[in-house]
Amino acid sequence: MKSAEAYEHEQGWDFEKAAMPYVDSLYNTAYRMTRNSEDAEDLVQETYLKAYKYYDKFEEGTNFKAWLFKIMKNTFINNYRKKKLTPHKIDFSEIEESYERVIQKNAPDLIKDPESEIFQDMMDEDVKRALDSLPHDYKMVVLLADIEGFSYKEIAEILDCPVGTVMSRLYRGRKMLERTLLEYARKYGYIRQGEPAKMRSRKDETKGRKKKEQPEEETEVQEPVENEEEVLFSDDEDAELEIEDPEEEEFRIE
Amino acid sequence: MRCNDVKRVAYFFLDGTLGATRQKDFSKHLNLCPDCEARTTIHRRIRLFLKKRLARLSAPRRLKQRLTRSLRAFAD
Repeated sequence: MKSAEAYEHEQGWDFEKAAMPYVDSLYNTAYRMTRNSEDAEDLVQETYLKAYKYYDKFEEGTNFKAWLFKIMKNTFINNYRKKKLTPHKIDFSEIEESYERVIQKNAPDLIKDPESEIFQDMMDEDVKRALDSLPHDYKMVVLLADIEGFSYKEIAEILDCPVGTVMSRLYRGRKMLERTLLEYARKYGYIRQGEPAKMRSRKDETKGRKKKEQPEEETEVQEPVENEEEVLFSDDEDAELEIEDPEEEEFRIE
Repeated sequence: MRCNDVKRVAYFFLDGTLGATRQKDFSKHLNLCPDCEARTTIHRRIRLFLKKRLARLSAPRRLKQRLTRSLRAFAD
């Protein structure tokens, strides 16, 4: 058992140098978690001091950044979440349905002009609001995967849950977030509707309605409602999704 | 792979975690199905959008100074 200090003497490890490169990442995530800069700064500070203190618990060769995130997640739960741990009841079938409605209506306008940013006029405030509208657990997996680029396995480690849960939350979290963004985009006019696109979108709506009447669609709408997690990926598909080779598991975000 | 399968795994396709065979099946389906192609393009574009818009914050300089100070004080 060595403290970082002892380690420093023995092998010249400089905790400060090793840990400081992650301060922006940790702060960015802390800010999204606490929603204000003061708490985010305190959270990062506490994380660093704990990491320094418990450095002997860090297993060499494992991911240092993920380890720091795990400490931060635990610190956050201890400090900030005690009061509001009431689980959200989410009706995912409703989310799927409204997602289908909004995407089918807007798809033609959204895919044209692939060169520009998709909701280029959207205010950062609205992006933030959309993210904050996610239940905490879903927000965390989306942030860790899509902003920080952690693999499913690393996220499972950080959050202390099975990989299947990470994937299920990712699926739902991303979908909820997309739906909210699409709704804002439509409500506030961020989706640019050109004349030809309008004509296409009307056609597409009809197509969408027709699709909904097909039995195939019906089965998908029956997605389990109250039964949390796992359900989505508990069939045999899971085995394949849960990765043959850990190396393959890395995110490749284009 | 059918449209419903594509919808279920589109995010994982974009993550590159489906495994070689299913990645290929997925791509094959996209070449034949404009609806799924459009939908996957939208997922991809939204992801890029979020990555760009949510990754802007960097830690304030005062936090970095505070951390360095406390770490050094802690070590003494």
